[in-house]
Amino acid sequence: MPDRSHCRLVRVLILLVGALLVVVGADTLSPRLAGAQAADAEICKACHVEKHDSYVGSRHGVKTDSRTPANRGACLVCHGDGALEHAKKGGGRGVGSVVNPGSKTMAADAKNKICLTCHQGDPARTHWQASVHAGRDVACTSCHEVHTSNDKVRDKLTQPYVCFTCHKEQRVQVNKPSRHPILEGKVSCADCHNVHGNNPKQMVRNSVVETCYQCHMEKRGPFVHNHQPVTEDCTICHQPHGTTIANLLKSRPPFLCQDCHASSGHPVQFAGPVTARGGSTGTLGTTARGCLNCHTNIHGSNSTQNSATAGRFRR
Amino acid sequence: MCRKSKRVFKLTALAAALLAAYGPALAEGAESSVSIGVGNWSDDRPQTGTYDGMRDSGTYGILDADILKRDDATGTWLGLKARNLGLDDREIKLDWLRQGNIGASLEYSRIPRDNPWTFNTGVLGIGSTTLFVPTPSITPGTGANVELGTVRDRFTATFFKSLGTGLKFNVSFRNETKEGTRAWGRGGAAEFAVEPIDSTIRILDAALNYSRGGLQLSGGYYGTSYQNANSMVTTSLTNGASPFFLSLPLDNKSNELFLNGGYNFTPTTRGTFKASYSQATQDEELGNFGGTASPLAPTNLDGRLDTTLAELGITSRPMPKLSIVANLRYRDFDDKTPVQGIVFNAGGTPTVFNTPFSYTNKIGKLEATYLLPQAFSLLGGLEYNAQDRSVPTVGTLWVPFRAEMDETTYRLQLRKSMSETINGSLAYLHSERDGSGFVLPSAGPNPAVGEPLQDRINPMNIADRKRDKWRAMVDWSPADRLGFQFVIEDAKDKYDGPNTYGLQEGTARLYALDASYQLNSALQVHAWYSRDETEANELTQQALTVTKQNDLSEVGNSFGVGVKGKVTEKLRAGGDVEQYRSVNKYEQNISGAVLPATQVPTPDITNKLLRIRLFAQYAVQKNADVRVNVIHERWSTDDWSWMMFPASGATPWAYGTTTDGTTVTQDPKQDSTFVGIRYIYKF
Repeated sequence: MPDRSHCRLVRVLILLVGALLVVVGADTLSPRLAGAQAADAEICKACHVEKHDSYVGSRHGVKTDSRTPANRGACLVCHGDGALEHAKKGGGRGVGSVVNPGSKTMAADAKNKICLTCHQGDPARTHWQASVHAGRDVACTSCHEVHTSNDKVRDKLTQPYVCFTCHKEQRVQVNKPSRHPILEGKVSCADCHNVHGNNPKQMVRNSVVETCYQCHMEKRGPFVHNHQPVTEDCTICHQPHGTTIANLLKSRPPFLCQDCHASSGHPVQFAGPVTARGGSTGTLGTTARGCLNCHTNIHGSNSTQNSATAGRFRR
Repeated sequence: MCRKSKRVFKLTALAAALLAAYGPALAEGAESSVSIGVGNWSDDRPQTGTYDGMRDSGTYGILDADILKRDDATGTWLGLKARNLGLDDREIKLDWLRQGNIGASLEYSRIPRDNPWTFNTGVLGIGSTTLFVPTPSITPGTGANVELGTVRDRFTATFFKSLGTGLKFNVSFRNETKEGTRAWGRGGAAEFAVEPIDSTIRILDAALNYSRGGLQLSGGYYGTSYQNANSMVTTSLTNGASPFFLSLPLDNKSNELFLNGGYNFTPTTRGTFKASYSQATQDEELGNFGGTASPLAPTNLDGRLDTTLAELGITSRPMPKLSIVANLRYRDFDDKTPVQGIVFNAGGTPTVFNTPFSYTNKIGKLEATYLLPQAFSLLGGLEYNAQDRSVPTVGTLWVPFRAEMDETTYRLQLRKSMSETINGSLAYLHSERDGSGFVLPSAGPNPAVGEPLQDRINPMNIADRKRDKWRAMVDWSPADRLGFQFVIEDAKDKYDGPNTYGLQEGTARLYALDASYQLNSALQVHAWYSRDETEANELTQQALTVTKQNDLSEVGNSFGVGVKGKVTEKLRAGGDVEQYRSVNKYEQNISGAVLPATQVPTPDITNKLLRIRLFAQYAVQKNADVRVNVIHERWSTDDWSWMMFPASGATPWAYGTTTDGTTVTQDPKQDSTFVGIRYIYKF
C-alpha cells in the first residue's frame, strides 16, 4: 500500500500534467484589440460631454504621458474603432459597433482585456487572470469608475461600500461591536486583500499571518513558547471583519478554547455566570477576559521562568 | 439624435446606490475643495467612538481638504488630501507625480483606539513596566477611573521612477509607532494588569518592475522590523510581595527577496510564477525575569523563521468556449529556532523546551469554465492542499497534533451573465479534510486514574472536516431605474476524528436583499436587509467521563434605507437609517443528565445599533456650499462579560479576592447626537 506522501505526489503530478496538456492544446489565435486610430475626441464630446470632460481631466487624458489613451487614439483605445461608426449613425444605445465596457451585455473578460492591455504591467495585476475575481466574471468596471479622478474604490473611506456590493456578510460584520476601523476609513479592504491577485484568500501578502504582521508584527515572534495556531493562521481564532466578542474572537472563551483543549480540570469548566469574586480557576474562564484572565500572553510568551507550567502563556 | 451616455455597470450600479446613501461626501470630479466647520456630540459614545477620536461628548473642529491640480504642459499632478485635521484620527497625504516619469508621496495617518470600557482601579504604575496591585483590595468602585487605549502614528513615503521603456523602480517606506496601554492580566491570578505599548514597526518595500509586450517581471526586497521599547513588566502586590514577571514581545525583523512574473505565450495562454525567500529573526536578549530563570536557561532564543514560496500558474483558453486556470504552489514555513531547554529540574535536566512549529503546503489547483448557450457558463474546480506539519518531539504537548493534513476542494458554479435584466450565479463547494493519525499529549489518556478521555480532542484547526457551501446570487433589473439583488448563502462544516471531543458542526447562513430605485434624475433611494445566522456545536469533557454539549448560536438582523438627491438647483439633501441587532445564545447540556443546580447557563446577549444620518448642502455661492450634518446613534448591549451575579443582584465583577478590586464597566446604553456645520470652498 503506497504511503500518504506518495499518493499526494501523484495527485500533484496529475494536476501538473493536466495543466501542461491544456497549454499544448491551447488555441494560439485570438482577436487582437482593434488598432487604435487617432481620432478626434471632440466627435464623442458632442454627445458625451460629461464622459469626455472626465476623461480629459483624468490620468487617461494626460498628453505628456506616451502610454495614455490621449496619445494612442483617445476614446477609440477603449471604445474601439466602431465608435466612429456609432457617431456617424447619430449615436444611441446599441447603434454601431462601439465597444462599451460599461455595458452589462459585454463579457467581463473582454472588458478586462481592454484594461489589461496597459495595466497588466502593474505587479499587483500580474496574476489577475488566475484570481478568483477574474474567474467569477468580475470586470474592472464592476468596481472601478474610469471616467473620474475620484474612483471610489481607490479611496479608503468609500472602498468598503463598493466591496459590500457583493460581500454582504462583511457589510454586516463591520457594524459588530468588535471590529477594525473600516467604516472610519483607517483600514480598507485593500490593506489586507489584493483583489487583483491569486494569493490564498486574496491576501496582499503570501499568507494570512504575513498579512496580519503588517500591523501586528509583535505576533510574529518567534516566541520561547509559541501558541501553535498563532503561527499558522490568525483566522483560526479571529474573524477580522468583525464579531460580537471582544478582540475579534470568533467565539467566546471558554467555548473557543475548548475547541482545542480538553484537559480535565479547569480547561473544560462549565461556562456560567460568576456569583462572587474569587480566584477559582473553575469559573474564571467565562467572565471578564475569560481564559485570558490568567493566560494573558496567549499569542506567545518569552518568559524563561523556571516553572513547570511556563508553557501556558501566563507569563 | 444622440442620447446621453448612461452608466450601466452591472455591479457598480448598486455600489453607486450604496455610496449615494451611505458614503461620505467627497468632491466630485477634479474639483478641489477645502472645508472648515464645527460639530458637537451631545453625549459620550465609547462604543461607536472607539476609532474616530470623538469618544467624548463636546465640540470638535472640522477641517478637510481635497486638492488636486494638474499642469497640462508637463503632465504634473499635485494632490493634497487631508481628513479630520480637527480630530484625533487625522490624516494628510501629499502627492506629486509627473505622470509616466517620476512621482512621490508623503502620508501621515493617526489611528486612535480608545478602549470602550471604563476601568476603575487601584493598580499603580499604569503605563509603566512596574505595577502594584492593591493589597488588601480596594472596595470595588472606589478606585480611579482609567481610560486605556492606543494611538498609531503612521508615516508612509513612496517614490517611483521610470527608468526607460517598460522599466520602473518603486520604493515605499512605512514607519509606524504605537503607544498607549492595553488591558492585560497578572498571569498568576485573576488580577488586573496593563500592558504598556511603545513599539515601532518599519516596512521597506522596493521593487524593480519590467513590463513589455507580454512579459512582466517584478523583483525586489521586502524588509520589516518590529522594535519594542519594553521587554518585561513586573507586577507585585503593594508591599512588593508576590512579584510576577510578564514577558513582552521582543524585537524581530525580516528580510525577503522576491521575483514574480508573467508571460503571454499566446494571446490566449499566459504563464505566471512567484518565487520568494524570507528570513525572520528574533535575537534580543531574553533576560532572567527577576532571577526566576534557571541559570541553565538560554539568554537568547536565536529565533529564525525561513519562508520559501514557489508558484507556477497557467491560464488558457484552448477553445473559444473553454478557459482553464491551473496553479501549483509550494510554501515552506520553517521555524529554524534551535530547540533548547527552558525549564530545568533540580538535577539540571530540561523539562520544558521552546516550541518551534513548521509547515509545508503543496497546493494544486485546476479550474475550468465552459460557456454555454444564452450567456450561461459552467465552472468546475478542483483544489488539493497537502500540508506537512511539525510535531513537537520534546517538551510538553498540550493538545493532540497530526503530522500531515490533506484537503481536497471541489467547486461547481453555474453563472448567467451579460443580460440587461437578470444575471446571477449558483455556486456549490464541497471540501474534505483529513490527515495522519493524532499524536496525543504526553499526559494523555490515563484510565488508571479515572481519566480515560483526558485530552481526547480533535483540535478545530486539524480535525477531519467536511464542508458544504452554497451561494446563490441574483441581480435583477426589471427597469432601468429599478434594481434588486438577492443573495443566499449556506455553509455547513462537519468535524470528525478519532478523538471524542471538539467542534462537531458549524453552520452559517446569510440572506440579503438590496433594492435601489432612481425616482427621477435627481433623487435616488436604496434599501437593504440582511439576516445572518451562525451555529456551532461542540463536545467537551465536563468531568472525568461526563460529556457536555455546547450549542452556540448568533442571529443578526440588519437593515438600511437611504435617500439622496437634489431638492432644488442649490440644495442637495439626503439621509439614511441603519439598524443592526444580534442575539447570541449559549446552550450547554450534559449528556444523559440535567444540569446541576449550581451550573447556571450563561444568559443570552443582545447587541443593538441604530444610526440615523441626515445632511443638507446648500450652494451659497457658485464656488461655496454650506453643509449641515446631523447624526443620531443609539447603541445598547446586555453583554454580561464583566458582570457577576450574586443572589443580591448583578454587580460589576471585580478582579482578585482579597487583593486588587478593579472593576470594568460598559455603559449598556449609549445615545448621542451630532450636529455639525461646515463651509466648503471649491476651486
